[in-house]
Parts: sequence; structure tokens; C-alpha cells
Amino acid sequence: MASVELNDIRKNYGTLEVIHGVSLTIEDGEFIALVGPSGCGKSTLLRMIAGLEEITDGEVMIAGKVVNPLTPRERNIAMVFQSYALYPHMTVAENMGFNLKLSGIAKPEIERRVSEAARMLALTDLLDRKPSQLSGGQRQRVAMGRAIVRDPAVFLFDEPLSNLDAKLRVQMRTEIKSLHQKVGTTSIYVTHDQIEAMTLADRIVVLNQGNIEQVGTPLELYRQPANLFVAGFIGSPAMNILDGIVDADNGQPAVRLGDGSAIRIAPQRKVRPGQPVKIGLRPEHFAPTGAGSIVSGRTLLVEPTGAQTHVLFEFAGSHVTAVVDGDHPARHGAHFEAVADGEKVYVFDGSTGVAL
Amino acid sequence: MTDTSTSIRMSAGTRIYLYVSLSLVAALVLVPLVATALGGFKSLGELRVNPFGLPREWHWSNYLDILFGDRYWRQMVNSLFIAVMTVFLTVVASAMAAFTLAHVKFFGANQLLNYFLIGLMFPAATAILPLFIRIRDLGLLDTYWGVILPQVAFGLGMSILLFRNYFRNLPEELFQAAFVDGCGYIRFFWHISLPLSRPIIATVSIISFVNSWNSYIVPLIMLNSETKYPWPLGIMVYRGEFGTQWQLVLAFITLTILPTIIVFFLAQKHIIAGLTAGAVKG
Repeated sequence: MASVELNDIRKNYGTLEVIHGVSLTIEDGEFIALVGPSGCGKSTLLRMIAGLEEITDGEVMIAGKVVNPLTPRERNIAMVFQSYALYPHMTVAENMGFNLKLSGIAKPEIERRVSEAARMLALTDLLDRKPSQLSGGQRQRVAMGRAIVRDPAVFLFDEPLSNLDAKLRVQMRTEIKSLHQKVGTTSIYVTHDQIEAMTLADRIVVLNQGNIEQVGTPLELYRQPANLFVAGFIGSPAMNILDGIVDADNGQPAVRLGDGSAIRIAPQRKVRPGQPVKIGLRPEHFAPTGAGSIVSGRTLLVEPTGAQTHVLFEFAGSHVTAVVDGDHPARHGAHFEAVADGEKVYVFDGSTGVAL
Repeated sequence: MTDTSTSIRMSAGTRIYLYVSLSLVAALVLVPLVATALGGFKSLGELRVNPFGLPREWHWSNYLDILFGDRYWRQMVNSLFIAVMTVFLTVVASAMAAFTLAHVKFFGANQLLNYFLIGLMFPAATAILPLFIRIRDLGLLDTYWGVILPQVAFGLGMSILLFRNYFRNLPEELFQAAFVDGCGYIRFFWHISLPLSRPIIATVSIISFVNSWNSYIVPLIMLNSETKYPWPLGIMVYRGEFGTQWQLVLAFITLTILPTIIVFFLAQKHIIAGLTAGAVKG
């Protein structure tokens, strides 16, 4: 176990810079998720920590030691790949024990550690099988077992659940979480799925185009997004964003939208009248009644999911999604009305997108 | 309905056409082979008048004389030694070269590969004079190595091409996983690449074994003493000053191509596809 520190990490491919000076401190035993859209550099960053990708500039420190020139093995990291990358010609036990064998550990010790890891992952009955005889979930567990047996300083996960079907993904997510609680090894987990990141991680790092947009606990990111990008990325369905200008509504601070309707905002927002802003409304923050501004329009789409129903309606010239109770009588084409609580309306600067 | 799940249903006409044309192709290969084998049982006179039919009188002595003489066995051992060494060196050298060309990026890698591939364009016969001079200068004339080394060199182009394409198709993440597990290039080659390459090793081995086994021109130029002759040169012994003993030549050929056929059928079993199944989700 060890802490990981990134100091102003940069990566160039030729003249193209894809990672622009990322700095991050990961505590010992922490579970960190790197999230971001495709091409944001999250996998590249992980592979630089792993030692599979050269670091153009900056330092990676593991357990207080600069590891830039070291191989993955010398860094003492273990990695779980999206495609599992099991060795097809070896049995499960051989796959898991391969790196121990390479480091010249005695056979009985290898067997002991492999069987211990197999017990932890419920793989004991499968130890003599070849990867081709396993299901996707089992292969993923073997890949994790291969990482556990060597007792590394850091676990690196590169989108490990992307190849699994939806149900298995949820199940494996729980297994990864309980595994981390059991072994407590520092883990860095790359995913594009924000639900995975929210459920698994102690802290989430949101990356966009090679820059860190925000670092924080899942709830911090959800409740206090630092900017428009994080606000739009975290939360499902995504936050509704509307353009407007800061104004007053009956002496209360509000934002006037394009069609003239006003949405009240919390008085503590640092805005000045006339400032162009964007407001963010979380679909799940619309209430059927209560204090706040009324938001209404024609219903365009109704998506029942069981407990809740997603309603897409027209408001102020945009399409707005609201999450309402499953019993809500929303109907296609009907008038929909909800209340947006001013305390829960996010305000972002109109040009920079920074939260105000 | 059960037929459609395994293959497309064929009409009777297609079936007949298929069998007739396949029989023709098979006959094209088998008739000379059978004629050769049967010819070995005939006398020289009968061979002249009845080249294809069954022998009127079975002369077992043709075969038995060859089998019990030491020349046949010595030439088989020579051929075998040359072929096995050629296969071994070709596989080792081309696998290592192909691995480097497939996985290591270095300046001039493409030029080097092209250089090897140019070798594909020249049959050994075109280079026989410079080859002879070079082998003479190396002092390898009339040795097994004088035959083995040129054969390996001429086999490299094709073998590297086959190996390289195969190695490049191994999943990239497999290499990264091995790297994280502590493999360098060399360990990855031995522990991961080679065990997964059985089909391509079998293919390259068969090609170079058969080429070496049937090779005539290189041993003819390089070897002088009869004790080192591989079997294709051995046939010349039956060509006398005034006539050729064809029945013995045919018997000899039959006995010498048997091992290649056996080797081929043995190695064929190992050409199994789908060995990488399960490495990655496919």
C-alpha cells in the first residue's frame, strides 16, 4: 500500500500535448476514480502511472519515491485491463501465479497465495480451467485475482467493466468495492461511466481534454460542481442548462430567461444584475409543489422507469428533463408544471462556465 | 433442416459436379504417386511397355535391396539432419526477427523488413555462383552447414513474413499485461508469444522441412563426397553410363517421400485455429 502523487504531469505526442500539467495527491488506501468523456486523457494518465506510457514531463511518485524511470514491475503496481488480457494458454492458477513465478517465488508459496486469492474471489473451483472456458464475469475475476496475488502498492483499473453486460456490471461493481474494503489497497479506477465512479470511489477526478476539471468526493461533485462541465457530466439524467441574464424578481435575485420567465436563485450567489449566466436545473430537483419558481411547458416525451418517470418538456425555448414520481400522470402533449427551488438552482458564469 | 445449420444444402447436380472435379484433382496428385510406387515393383523391361498398370510380376527385391543397403539409410540420415537443422534454425531465427519487427519500434525497422522480403524474389538457383564462392571462402564446401545455412537464408523471407503477421495479431493488451507482470521483451517472447504460436510454428516448419527435403540444387553444388549426399542426389547413383535403372529410381523415390508425408500428417494436427480464444472478448 502506498500513496500516489502526480506533479505537473504532461504528455506530448509529437507536438500535440494531450495531458496539460496534471497534479494530484492520492492518499494511502484511497479509491480514486478518473472519469471523463472519451479522449479526455484518463486512460493515458493511468498508463503513465502504470509505466506503460512514457511521461513527457513531470513526476509520478509512489510511496514518496519518484518512479518515472522504473518499469511497471519495479513500481509494484498491478493492472486490470478492459479486455482482461488473460494468457490463453495458461490455466487460471497459472495466470494468477505468473508474476510470482517470474519473480522466483517458491512453488508452495505461489500456491498458497493463489489459493488465498481464489478463495477471496470464489474462483477455487475454476483454478484448472483455461480462460476460454470461463464466462466474462469469471474472466474479470481472474484478472483481478492476478492483480491481488502480488500484493501491489497500487491497483490500476482500466475500464474493467466495460465488456460486461449491464447486470453483471452492477454485480462486479459491488465485488470490486467489497474487495477494496477487504484489502484496502490504493486504487485508481478509470471509467467513462459516472455511476460506476460515484458508487465506487472515495474521491472522483473529472478530466476534460487533458485537464483536471474538479476533484472531490462523489457528493461534493454532485452538490457543488465547480463548473458547467462537471455539472453536466455528473448526475443522470444530465443537468438542464439554460441561458439567461441576472435580474430581480419582486426584489428577489433571479435569472431572466430568453422567453421572459424568471427563475429565482439563492441570494448568496455572487452575481451582479445584467450579468449573462447559465443556470443549471437538476432533473430530480423539480418538485410538484412548494416554494420556488414555476417551470412549465408542453410534454414532449414520457419515459417511465418504474419508481420514477422522466418527463421531457418544452420550457423557455429549450428541452428540459424532469424526474417525477412514477405515479405522476404525465402524458405526451399535455401541460407539465413543476417548481424549481431557488436554493437548488446552479448558476454558472455565461462565458467561463465557472460556478458562481 | 439439420443440414442448413452446418452447410448450405446442395442439389444432386452440384454434388456430382463437386465429386467429379475433386476426384480429378485428387487423381492428378495420386496417379503419379501410385505409378511411382508400383513402378518400383517392376522390372526395367516391363516399365517400358507397361508404365501405369499393376506389375505382372512383383519384384520385391527392388525395395528390399534399397532397404537393406546402407546407402539408403545414410542418405536418409543426411537428408534428415539437413532438414531438421534447417527447420530449427529457420524457426528460431525468423521467429526472433519477426518478433522484433512486430513489437519493437526502431529506426529503419521497415527498411530492414523490406530487405528481408526482397529475399522472397530470388530462388536459390539464381544466386548459385556467388553462393558457391561465399561458401568456399567460408570453408564450408562439402559440409552439412554449407547446405543448411543457404537454405535457412533463403527461407527467412517467407518465414519472417508469416511470423510477423501472426505476432502482430496477438492482442496489444496481452503484451501490456505481461509487462506489468514483469516480463521484458525476451520473457514475453518465450512465455507468451511462442506458446501461442504453435499453428504458425507448425506452418513454417512444414514449409521449410519440405523445401529442404526436396532441395536438389544447393546440395548438388555444395557437396562432393557421396557419404554426405541427401537423397535427391542419391538417385543419380542409379544412372549408369549406358542406361538408367528406372525401377530402382522409382522404388527409391517412393521410400524417400514417405517420411515427408508422415511428417506432414503429424504436423497438420497442430495447425489448430482459435488458440487465442479467451484472451480477450472476441
